[in-house]
Amino acid sequence: MTDDSSEFDHAVALANCARGEHDALHQLYVHEGARLLGVVVRIVKDRGMAEDIVHDACLNIWQRADSFDPDKGSARAWIFSVARHLALNAIRYRDREVTFDSTYESTYDSTYDSTFGSNDPTELDHPEHLQHATVVEDTFDWQTGQRMDRCLEQLEPERRNCVLHAYVDGLSHAEISAHTGAPLGTVKAWIKRSLLRLRECMT
Amino acid sequence: MTRPSQHEPEQDDDHALAGEYVLGTLSLEQRKALEARLPNEPELQKAVMAWEERFLPYTAITDPVTPSDYLWPRIERSLKARETSVKRTGAAIAPRSPRRILHSLPLWRGAAGFGLAAALVMGVMLANEVTKPTIPTTPEYMVVLLAPQTQSAGWVVQASSRQEIELIPLGTFEVPEGKALEFWTKADEWQAPVSLGLVEPGQPIRLRLDQLPPLEDNQLFELTLEDEAGSATGLPTGPIEFIGRAVEI
Repeated sequence: MTDDSSEFDHAVALANCARGEHDALHQLYVHEGARLLGVVVRIVKDRGMAEDIVHDACLNIWQRADSFDPDKGSARAWIFSVARHLALNAIRYRDREVTFDSTYESTYDSTYDSTFGSNDPTELDHPEHLQHATVVEDTFDWQTGQRMDRCLEQLEPERRNCVLHAYVDGLSHAEISAHTGAPLGTVKAWIKRSLLRLRECMT
Repeated sequence: MTRPSQHEPEQDDDHALAGEYVLGTLSLEQRKALEARLPNEPELQKAVMAWEERFLPYTAITDPVTPSDYLWPRIERSLKARETSVKRTGAAIAPRSPRRILHSLPLWRGAAGFGLAAALVMGVMLANEVTKPTIPTTPEYMVVLLAPQTQSAGWVVQASSRQEIELIPLGTFEVPEGKALEFWTKADEWQAPVSLGLVEPGQPIRLRLDQLPPLEDNQLFELTLEDEAGSATGLPTGPIEFIGRAVEI
């Protein structure tokens, strides 16, 4: 339903993967590899790590293709969720692991800053535009022509930005708070309320 | 406990929680708590999948990034390696001939691993639907081994029980000529790290810890760069290449 690439049947590709056809995974990779990598790079902000994650995601998709149940959701959502959750787990582990030994903290801080500080010219596009937005504007060209657009549209722009930054950039509550200037509690409340409103709107 | 609020209907809380899981705002602990609930809670699974569907179109906000020419060949190699190992398993698994076993501690078994980090998510999430006998049970512990300098994840240790772990590479690692990666572990109470033997870069290994106390939360794992034959002292001597602590799942 949400499949924006009608010429490719993700469910058939998964079914063929489940039958052990390497070519089906290759076709899937050819068709979605760049989009998957784009999504993962944006979250983990590290090209090498992102390719590792897409590698793992492809193997997971291959291994679990036969557990995909089309009655429970679209194949494309399933495929992207594998890659996104790998990426999200990886960055949350990274955030956690680096704090266990204070000797690494300085390294971590600089890594962390550079994620947002744009001191690396090779850095991928990142939300500088989020910072200190007193006049809140959309930070994304987010309209997709899907039904969800209408629901997102009903949210206040700063809340919509929070939700989309979380989804697209993998930002935690604290990161969103730091980069919007909104208090942490406010960000948490915005996101939770936004989700409930979105759900209400979509059902 | 991980619910955002006690004052709202539980159902709303779960839908919001599922939404936050999909958005990615949850902390590691919250993610794990939710993943632990998923196998037994079809309603929560449904809520998660519904959010996956709702937000999927917004993956299009992100520009595609063309993978390097090496990525597909690497995936294909991993696929083939896995299929070979699947053929080999079933009977006793042939040892991958580690170059050395220290202290006769671990019984090494060569076993092709898999990018199992995602199993933590989708595996748990879809556990109700997974019927393959080869799929490991939900691990009790997980460790991500990071390179101290770059903080990039290099390996994952996954434990399906407190006596058996699997070390899974997330990428490759260039070992300098004449050197080797040695794998160590140390629980908080132990006096010194114990060697778990040498590790081949890019090769997953499975390892039984029969001679060691059961794995515990926060147990340290690290890979150090040692001489080709491993540390001569029985203790790590070279630089730490990857390090992490066990997290109970």
